[in-house]
Amino acid sequence: MRSPGSAARSSLEWLLRGAVLVLLAAYLARTIRAQRHGAEERATSSELRSALARWSTVVAPDRVHVVLDHPPAGLERDWLAALPSASTAVAWSGPTLLPSAIAVEPRADPARGAEVSVAAPAGTMVVLRDTVGPLDSARATAIGVRAYLPKPRRTTDAVVGPVVARGAVHDSLSLKKLLVLGPANWETKFTVAALEERGWKVDAHIALSPKGDVQQGEIGAIDTARYSAVLAIDSSAGRYGERIAQYVRSGGGLVLWSPATKARSLAAIAPGTAGMLQEDEGAAPSDTAPRAALELTPITQLAPDAVVLERRGNDVALAARRVGSGRVIETGYTNSWRWRMAGAGDDAPEQHRAWLASLVANVAYAGRTVIPTPPTDVAPLASLIERLGPSTPDDGQVPRDPNAIARWMFAMLCIALIIEWASRRLRGVK
Amino acid sequence: MSQFVFATAEYASGDWESAPALPENVIDTLAKYTTIDVAPVGVNVKLSSDELFNYPFVWMTGHLPVRFTDAERRNVKRYVERGGFLMIDDHNHDITGVFHKTVNEEIERLFGKMTRLPKDHELYRCFFVFEDGPPNTHHELNGYGDDLLHRYLDAVLVNGRIGLLYSSKDYSSEWNFHAETKKFMQQDPTKFAVNLIVYALTR
Repeated sequence: MRSPGSAARSSLEWLLRGAVLVLLAAYLARTIRAQRHGAEERATSSELRSALARWSTVVAPDRVHVVLDHPPAGLERDWLAALPSASTAVAWSGPTLLPSAIAVEPRADPARGAEVSVAAPAGTMVVLRDTVGPLDSARATAIGVRAYLPKPRRTTDAVVGPVVARGAVHDSLSLKKLLVLGPANWETKFTVAALEERGWKVDAHIALSPKGDVQQGEIGAIDTARYSAVLAIDSSAGRYGERIAQYVRSGGGLVLWSPATKARSLAAIAPGTAGMLQEDEGAAPSDTAPRAALELTPITQLAPDAVVLERRGNDVALAARRVGSGRVIETGYTNSWRWRMAGAGDDAPEQHRAWLASLVANVAYAGRTVIPTPPTDVAPLASLIERLGPSTPDDGQVPRDPNAIARWMFAMLCIALIIEWASRRLRGVK
Repeated sequence: MSQFVFATAEYASGDWESAPALPENVIDTLAKYTTIDVAPVGVNVKLSSDELFNYPFVWMTGHLPVRFTDAERRNVKRYVERGGFLMIDDHNHDITGVFHKTVNEEIERLFGKMTRLPKDHELYRCFFVFEDGPPNTHHELNGYGDDLLHRYLDAVLVNGRIGLLYSSKDYSSEWNFHAETKKFMQQDPTKFAVNLIVYALTR
């Protein structure tokens, strides 16, 4: 008669034999399934580089799924895109990846610099940085983030979550002169002075008297070969109205002070017309909101295609529109010179110069020459989708490493067989 | 604020108000010869006040010693550097006089030595043409003051533009007459004032 211990051991052996059979069956099923569906492999961003090397040299899986927590670098992206040519289908997913894009455009300004525009989901934090370190950060609005870089380095990065878009200036601008048309008043004088101090070469026609006007430079043809932009400070610019309109339609830039729209030919291309003058109260323009202390001739009756760029209270202070191939910007601030002269901060003249230069830069025509640039990645997620197609949901069913599972199953199988064999031998059963 | 307003500098020391009829004559001349939108009356503005910066052209004159206060010094320097045009005229027409000596000390302290404007400077051509540089005054020709004909004006230049103009010619006496007198004059003596203001407004 068998002892109770011997019976339990016999039961264990049967259990182990059963387990071995189950493992063998699972191994068989897995092999059949792999033959029917082909081998699948999976990798994360951190494993991608080594996985790509393995998929290209050790195994050639039928399908791979890459789970990304940041967009792959250009080399890895191209490598993944090349795998389908080796009969390996590529799928990817990246739930944390945010779409973003960066554009770095040279500014039409003698002080050079670049305008950076970043597209990103509204509300996300955008950090601008270059090779030296962070430059600025801002939360994206519905139109993204715009910034001015006075001295851009070779590349500029926009970091949005885990996504880094890299841009660079691709063009060198060839700037022409500016033409300022206005009356003999402080606004004209300080506009010319500020732009010259900024580095622009300025021609001017200043209306002074029936006897004669003051001309600076030789005002010949008004065209894009000669002028990057025309600035019309009041309706005295109307004497050039038709020529200015033609210049703008052919690609030139125009900065209009709203009183200039009283000239009919300029009104036709203006974003809006001049409203009622709101005189300033003589207060010094502050550091924080300098334009709040300036007199305003608000822009009213906006053209249907005009875009409002700035409001003061309910009034439109800056607006712009495209006319033909050119651009027109209209300002309602008619005594901006007070910002320079009476501004509270020590840098008020510089701020005023920069503001005027930005108005001009928004519309100015400039010839472009392509310059060599380092590699960029202006829209990493869009590039990824372009190369690999849209992302596919990660069902999580694909084993991480099929060989590891096979090794694990084989080890379990061996252990079960050894225990079963040892148990029988210790009992003296063959 | 877009109008041109003729401003007379009011300073703590001296007799800043010594040519009270000058502004109206200059305003009259501007209105007569140009289309500049000019305010019909001038203003007095303290050099120590922030108001100064609302008037980019300021006329300063006097006979007595001038000692700027710290606030006046600070403002004058900032005013000139930001693009204002400060015209200082020696009402004594006397380079040995106290106004000339003290004002020049103040100017030199703030800006260093002034530049002598050549006779062909655009100041003398920007509206009326003065071939021989600054026009002479009757006080010079009649031997008042230092009994000299001053051939040149001196200036502080900022980015190549005149920021401060100093005259020993005594235009303050020349242009300080009763407004009714002008119609009896063969030549308008205030024409050079138009050049000063046109230069300030256009350069």
